[in-house]
Amino acid sequence: MTKDYKKSAVAGAVAVIGGGVGGMQAALDLADSGIKVYLIDTLPSIGGMMAQLDKTFPTNDCSMCILAPRLVGTQRHPNIEILSYTDVKGLSGTAGNFTLAVNRKAKFVHDDLCVGCGDCWEKCPVKNIPNEFDYGLSKRTAIYRMFPQAIPNIPVIDKAHCLRFKTGKCGICRKVCKANAVDYEMKDTELKLNVAGVVLAPGYTLYDSALKQEFGYGRHKNVISSLEFERILNASGPYCGEILRPSDKKHPHKVAFIQCVGSRDSENNYCSSVCCMYATKEALIAMEHAAGLECSIFHIDIRAFGKGFDSYYERAKQQGVRYIRCRPSAVKESPKTHNLSVKYYDESGKMKGEEFDMVVLSAGLRPPKDSASTAGILGLELNNFGFCKTAQFEPVKSTREGVFVCGPFSEPKDIPETVMEASAAASKALSIVYSQRGTLVKPKTLPAEKDVSAQEPRVGVFICHCGANIAGVVRVPEVVEYSKTLPNVAFAGNTIYACANDSLEKIKAAIKENNLNRLVVAACTPRTHEPLFRSAMQESGLNPYLFEMANIRDQNSWVHMKEPEKATQKAKELVKMAVAKARKLQPLKPRTMKINPSVLIIGGGLSAMTSALDLAACALEVHLVEREKELGGNFRKVKYLLDAAKPADKLAAMVRSVTANKNIKVHLNSHVNAIDGSWGNFKTTIKDGSGKTTELKHGVIILATGATEYKPVEYLYGKDKNVITQLELESALASGDFKAGTVVMIQCVGSRNTEHPYCSRLCCSQAVKNALAIKEKNPETEVYVLYRDMRTYGFREEYYTRAREKGVVFMRFEDADLPEVKQSGGKLAVTVKDAMLKAPVRIEAQKVVLSTGIAPNSDNAELAQLLKVPVNQDGFFLEAHMKLRPVDFASDGVFLCGLCHWPKDSQESIAQAGGAAARAAAITLKETVELDAHYAVVIDSNCDGCALCVNACPYKAITLLEYAKDGMVRKIVEINPGLCKGCGVCQATCPKLGVRVQGFALDQLYSMIDSLFETEPATGILP
Amino acid sequence: MKESEKSKSGPGGPQAGGGVKYAYYPGCSLHSTSFEYDRSFREVCAALNIELEEIPDWTCCGASSAHQVSRLLAISLPVSNMLKAKEAGHEEMLVPCAACFSRLKTAEHEMAKDPKTKAEVEEILGKKTGHAIKITHPLEIIEKIAASKDIAIKKKSGIKVACYYGCLLTKPPKVTGFDNCEYPMSMDNILRKFGFETLDWSYKTDCCGAAFGISDPAIVKKLIRKILDNAIELGAEAIAVACPLCHTNLDVRQPELGDEKYKIPILYFTQLMGLAMEIPTEKLAVSSHLTQTDTILKRV
Repeated sequence: MTKDYKKSAVAGAVAVIGGGVGGMQAALDLADSGIKVYLIDTLPSIGGMMAQLDKTFPTNDCSMCILAPRLVGTQRHPNIEILSYTDVKGLSGTAGNFTLAVNRKAKFVHDDLCVGCGDCWEKCPVKNIPNEFDYGLSKRTAIYRMFPQAIPNIPVIDKAHCLRFKTGKCGICRKVCKANAVDYEMKDTELKLNVAGVVLAPGYTLYDSALKQEFGYGRHKNVISSLEFERILNASGPYCGEILRPSDKKHPHKVAFIQCVGSRDSENNYCSSVCCMYATKEALIAMEHAAGLECSIFHIDIRAFGKGFDSYYERAKQQGVRYIRCRPSAVKESPKTHNLSVKYYDESGKMKGEEFDMVVLSAGLRPPKDSASTAGILGLELNNFGFCKTAQFEPVKSTREGVFVCGPFSEPKDIPETVMEASAAASKALSIVYSQRGTLVKPKTLPAEKDVSAQEPRVGVFICHCGANIAGVVRVPEVVEYSKTLPNVAFAGNTIYACANDSLEKIKAAIKENNLNRLVVAACTPRTHEPLFRSAMQESGLNPYLFEMANIRDQNSWVHMKEPEKATQKAKELVKMAVAKARKLQPLKPRTMKINPSVLIIGGGLSAMTSALDLAACALEVHLVEREKELGGNFRKVKYLLDAAKPADKLAAMVRSVTANKNIKVHLNSHVNAIDGSWGNFKTTIKDGSGKTTELKHGVIILATGATEYKPVEYLYGKDKNVITQLELESALASGDFKAGTVVMIQCVGSRNTEHPYCSRLCCSQAVKNALAIKEKNPETEVYVLYRDMRTYGFREEYYTRAREKGVVFMRFEDADLPEVKQSGGKLAVTVKDAMLKAPVRIEAQKVVLSTGIAPNSDNAELAQLLKVPVNQDGFFLEAHMKLRPVDFASDGVFLCGLCHWPKDSQESIAQAGGAAARAAAITLKETVELDAHYAVVIDSNCDGCALCVNACPYKAITLLEYAKDGMVRKIVEINPGLCKGCGVCQATCPKLGVRVQGFALDQLYSMIDSLFETEPATGILP
Repeated sequence: MKESEKSKSGPGGPQAGGGVKYAYYPGCSLHSTSFEYDRSFREVCAALNIELEEIPDWTCCGASSAHQVSRLLAISLPVSNMLKAKEAGHEEMLVPCAACFSRLKTAEHEMAKDPKTKAEVEEILGKKTGHAIKITHPLEIIEKIAASKDIAIKKKSGIKVACYYGCLLTKPPKVTGFDNCEYPMSMDNILRKFGFETLDWSYKTDCCGAAFGISDPAIVKKLIRKILDNAIELGAEAIAVACPLCHTNLDVRQPELGDEKYKIPILYFTQLMGLAMEIPTEKLAVSSHLTQTDTILKRV
């Protein structure tokens, strides 16, 4: 249980070390809960590894496009102080009251003076330094910023290469800097930060492929690492997104990917978890970039165990990515062509030699370079592989109290798991520091809002290049010139990246200089970037809703990339429409809403209890609603784990803590009957076994309803008592009644088939766990595991290796050759066509164990309707964003964790549950919240209560009211502001102009259409 | 030439070899088919002040046959030779033949790792083995000497050499424990020091077909063709080797490949070193190969 920290002795801040996607998430969660955060990064910019990625699997989202709003949001958060280019030097004190010593390395540029204009790096005479951000595939200058969206947008001087420091002769950057920000005399500065807790998110380093000399990395120019290829694919990478090979800058026709470089070998006996999917993604994206490109992936197993991964893998196969199940022993270079020959065994077992133009090594994830010294400085232990040591059931706790960890520093993992853990780490830190919220936080001071209602519209227009994303297709200067001709446009200009901090400064300056009172930005999409530009408006003293965005990237340059002429024309028209609307925009005021501070958690298993305890530790009231008669859920059936931890003890301790906690109210044998109200103020009716209903009032909901074991109908299950499931085996092993001379386990029962096309993620590790348990009890027992791909990701791989060492026989079968189980004369026999031998093998077995998959609960659809949240095609609940919002639903105030989201093990469930708790706390720790000003309002005089809009509303935000007036029954609709998303369906449905959506009013929309067709505006019909 | 010759004024200077006396295990090949490896090795050691003593009454290491018949025999034969060296007062033994090196290293490894094997071998040999002596390949010693001293070469020839290590010297890495198993550099480092330009190529540790040269020469021809092609394409003027069997396969089979281009000289690394140190060619037996070495001799 969490210790009680004395309020007076607790510092008001938390330090987050590492500014990647995990560090930013932890910082934002804490900052949103009113905690001061120091976000520390050793590099000049935050952003981490995700900033270097081109796209993300399995949705192929542009990595920078989803990350950039986070970067800017982190920078703009009033509670976050970014300490970039800063190293950690020491940590003294104890949890609640640490002193963290840091060294701010001299940038030789003053943060407070620099505006990031770029004059210095453009004029720097040293231009040939290998650019680390592009892994040396491009060059940079001696004074440089890491990438265009860098946060903070402040360059640093690389002393080792700078002429000034080497010879004392140069000095150009200081001369050209108009802000006088360059300072060659600058010294490192030491800071001591008083913090209550520390969150570690230092990320990972890519395995150095040169260590695998057989592949020739570092010797053969066209053998590159996966991250180098990621940069090559990227539009702002070294070749502007064109796929070229390094030796001769020619287009490759055939690219080979070699998996498990630095993973799953005798020196690195773990799986890096992400490489199978990133190679699949890189192959798919490369084939999109260059028609006719052939990609082949050499692999051991394909480990597509995450949400949506198997369907992504299937799609890749359909689109022609070739998967070859062989690990080549060497890559040889042809001296003349620099082509590479790879020798492998093909499907039929024949040795083949094939030539490729380029080879990409799917390098594994290693602990951060300086992890050993970091661990020493912070007083933590590392595990055998050099990653941060965590305990079973405590995935985000390091060995030092008050120091938490998230992301690949504790085990190789993907972005969503990192984000879940980051929120979970924030939750743990919050339980120490929550009492201090608000104490160190300074409210953001904004200039007073100018009243522009009486002014003629003066519109400023900015056309964004988005690097080459837009400017590579659309002729931006032409669109700028065109914009100047539009009515009321007082200023038009361009930006390379409108979202970059220097551009925002440029926009603010233009607003000031030209006395603008409306702003149009033509760029990517308002979905991610609108809040950013609205903030810029506020900082300029303008109402944020006097801003309009034209989407000329997602809906123009990306989709019409082969038609630059038409795309330029379309961009002009989109800008014209945006300007037309901007002229009609009126200032809007956001609404505020009071928040009920209690939380409803649906479910009573491991995840639900974890969330409940985390929230209770922040003194929040929790209602736990469990339909069974006891707490524990699926976790009750887990008897032991891969390591020595005892699940039963953990469960008992948790149940005791939950039951004893005065902040947690447990409702057993109950289910949710109805949910009314909206986030901030829900009213939920629950019903118990006796039919008694109770109404609960709460601000947010966490969904943690779990999932069920697939009940097999195949392989004689239910017909022969010796055919059992893994859970049944586990139970028999635990009670000591298991005996068999030969055991055959069959994987993927109820997974990766037509009915359940997804991978259940757990079953491979579960089979390994149980096989080891059998061997431990009786080493003579023969155990066979029949599988398609062994997906023992992360550190689970070590146990897979151990199982093979103990003599467990793993036999692979092809998808089409499912094993057969037959019984005759009371004897069971399994026949399987071994994929390696290409021959059938018959095994007589005393027990056949089915590794059954995880199926979504049958009532998920019903629950989804009650909660107004979506489920995916497989029947699991669908989060707001698969990478960056893995515990949120798209609807506000509703969160999810555990098996109802996707199959995952207990460690991962605990992490996600902690994450859900942090997200819920960020809302419920506030008394009031601000809501978007785009919402529908009823025009009482026009509404006659026809109620056409009531069913049309997708958010169920509208109710019909009847009231008596002048002795007559009148009808009118009412819109719940907490639920209304301002989508406009009601406005479009209403035949009587009885609803108006703020910011999307009909007159504003008509003006856009009119401007497109250049007709006179329609008059007289508008409300 | 059983006694080591002491050269007072070798290019390495009087102290180059550090004054340590090494046991020398030549193995059968160096006493017969690859006598030129033996000769050039002794010459080079003398020039670098590496003192050698051929161990008395040595026997065959078991080579490619013993381990096919009996695992214990394959360990016992090398161990008996190691004991002879120890009895002669040595702590370290140099083994130039890659196959012998591999067998002796394997024995060293097995004895150290497995007490049961050690006991069984001691029973066969009828005596206690005590602590093991160290088995070292000459490349390791010479690389160290070449790196530590300014080797005075009168003229850097700049001849392009592809260093071919073969598959036995470095693998398996846990057993041999020297240099990088997939892309070794010790021979390259030595020959560079002696004025040669060594090439970055892809076939350093590929198999030449080894004993298939006798039972199925077609396999050897297929394998050496790839090795030779890559070296020739990169412009190699010679291939340096450290294994008698590799030498035989690359040297003897070239004329059978049916192309004029296959006439690249194959030399032991010790022969190239000797040439660079201007040791008389007859002492290095450079004309005893089937593929002409004149092109090299003229240029050194």
